[in-house]
Amino acid sequence: MAGYFVDRRGFRSFVKGLVERYLLYGTTLQEGFPVFKKIETPEELVLSSTPTHLSPKEFLFPPEELLLRFSLEDGRGEPVVDAPEQVLMGLHPCDIHAIGLLDRVFSHGTGDVNYIERRRRTILIGTECLPDEYCFCHSMGTMDAEEGFDLFFHELKRGYLVRVGTERGRRLLERYSKPARADRTHLEEMRTHREKKLESFVRSIYARREELPLVYAGSYEHPVWERIGSRCYGCGSCNHVCPTCYCFDIRDDVTLDLKEAHRYRVWDGCTLEDFAKVAGGHNFRRHRSERLRHRFNRKFRYLADRFDGLFCVGCGRCSRTCLVGINITDVTNELIRDARS
Amino acid sequence: MPQAVELERVERLTEKETLFAFSPPEGFVFQPGQFLMVGLPGYGEAPISISSPPSDRKDVELCIRRVGSLTTILHRLQRGDALWIRGPFGRGFPVEKMHRRDILFIAGGIGLVPLRSLIKEVLSSRRGYGHLTLLYGVKSPEEILFEEELERWQKEGMDVRLTIDRAHPGWKGNVGVVTTLVPRVEMDEKNTVCCIVGPSVMYKYVILSLGNRSMRGEDIYLSLERKMKCGMGKCGHCQINSIYTCEEGPVFSLQEIRHLPEAI
Repeated sequence: MAGYFVDRRGFRSFVKGLVERYLLYGTTLQEGFPVFKKIETPEELVLSSTPTHLSPKEFLFPPEELLLRFSLEDGRGEPVVDAPEQVLMGLHPCDIHAIGLLDRVFSHGTGDVNYIERRRRTILIGTECLPDEYCFCHSMGTMDAEEGFDLFFHELKRGYLVRVGTERGRRLLERYSKPARADRTHLEEMRTHREKKLESFVRSIYARREELPLVYAGSYEHPVWERIGSRCYGCGSCNHVCPTCYCFDIRDDVTLDLKEAHRYRVWDGCTLEDFAKVAGGHNFRRHRSERLRHRFNRKFRYLADRFDGLFCVGCGRCSRTCLVGINITDVTNELIRDARS
Repeated sequence: MPQAVELERVERLTEKETLFAFSPPEGFVFQPGQFLMVGLPGYGEAPISISSPPSDRKDVELCIRRVGSLTTILHRLQRGDALWIRGPFGRGFPVEKMHRRDILFIAGGIGLVPLRSLIKEVLSSRRGYGHLTLLYGVKSPEEILFEEELERWQKEGMDVRLTIDRAHPGWKGNVGVVTTLVPRVEMDEKNTVCCIVGPSVMYKYVILSLGNRSMRGEDIYLSLERKMKCGMGKCGHCQINSIYTCEEGPVFSLQEIRHLPEAI
């Protein structure tokens, strides 16, 4: 593996370069918790080893995005594509895998111009992490990112080992720091960290991930859906924080001066009550248990054939945020256990 | 990007349904059963089935029921106003598989709207098909759509049978839900294709009654209604278990959806 070593001073100069030249979104601490936000001074950037509460999907697929603008005066309409050149820094391997899945979704069939343009102009910079009590990426094959990033930083005692994913990433690294070739001790330190990470997981899924679509297919009538459905608030938080939940609503609005109409999309969530409700009032997934079952099946089964990959990357965000403590690993392990018995 | 079309005809059909007609834009090709995303800037979009047949090169017709906020606004449109459309989307009825065969159409209420596209397409080359039957059920006589056309279709060689859900003063025809007509139809099950469109609650019962008549799943086609926002297999609203209705449907054979518990 071609790796570079950047010392701490080089790293600071790299971040400074990014702040000065790019629109940079990265991790920082807010009230002690890591969050992604716009980084305006190099000191603000804090690479976090623990996961952010919200996923970075909002920078590629904004919670609210203008798609079309119509003039109500002359009746013309035009598409709007707002795709700034930007850098996302501090992505964990699960986030990078999730972005890879979103790439498949939005380029499927008729590609989504807004996402594709935004993605094309976004530089992805990853960083190594450590699991908290909700993470289970080692069970989902997403613990390591081998591709899908421009640069990937592994923090070492005296600096960073940097893996290069794209030529664009290499140029960026060379322009703003003085990278040296990584040597054997750097690689060893990286491997030691990986071993420590692997040993730190407290959550696992007790089946091979290739088995999960079948486990879910056989568990459609399992009592767990009623049980967690009776606790679920239907609040949509799991959809909101999930790095691979991409469902959306399309809404229209008129500007206050009545001169323009805007069509925009906003995040939507399949666990929300109205998600599958049609005009006239019929709701195709009326009960919370049905909606939860749908969401879990999307992650482990429904989308697997369509996009050749499971849509859970093991980040644990849905479980971490759930107000009533529904845990995706507990549910999945219960289904596995009963499928085997 | 939706395109604006100018409404050339706006016809009030019933208290709730209005027919909108416009000239097909250049390159506009579709199958019966496909739908458009129809909207107005500032108000939104909704999926609406095309109600005219592809063989009609002059007019594209949409029959829209006033049921939500967008359709209420659409009902205020007049001739000369612009309507914004995207599409056509999805997969329609496989007309080519119906050649030379008998066809049993079953419509419940507004389900006649997408079926009308197929019926008129078939009638436009009547000799290419066998026996044609339409079973059409509505709640009450004033909800009957395309009444004059129903008479015309009868004259053009289709056996049209109507029923209303509950007895009504002055009504002399059949009474009862559309399912009650199924056992009375004379048909050669092996050579019949059945096309059903109606409210979701209707499908289960109609399919049961067809099953009793030993119709095969691959000869039964139905069009499923779902909420749709994008029409391009992304927004997620139209998903039925693993499939996206907007891309893989809205028309399915019973065979294709039998294994999907959420379908009917």
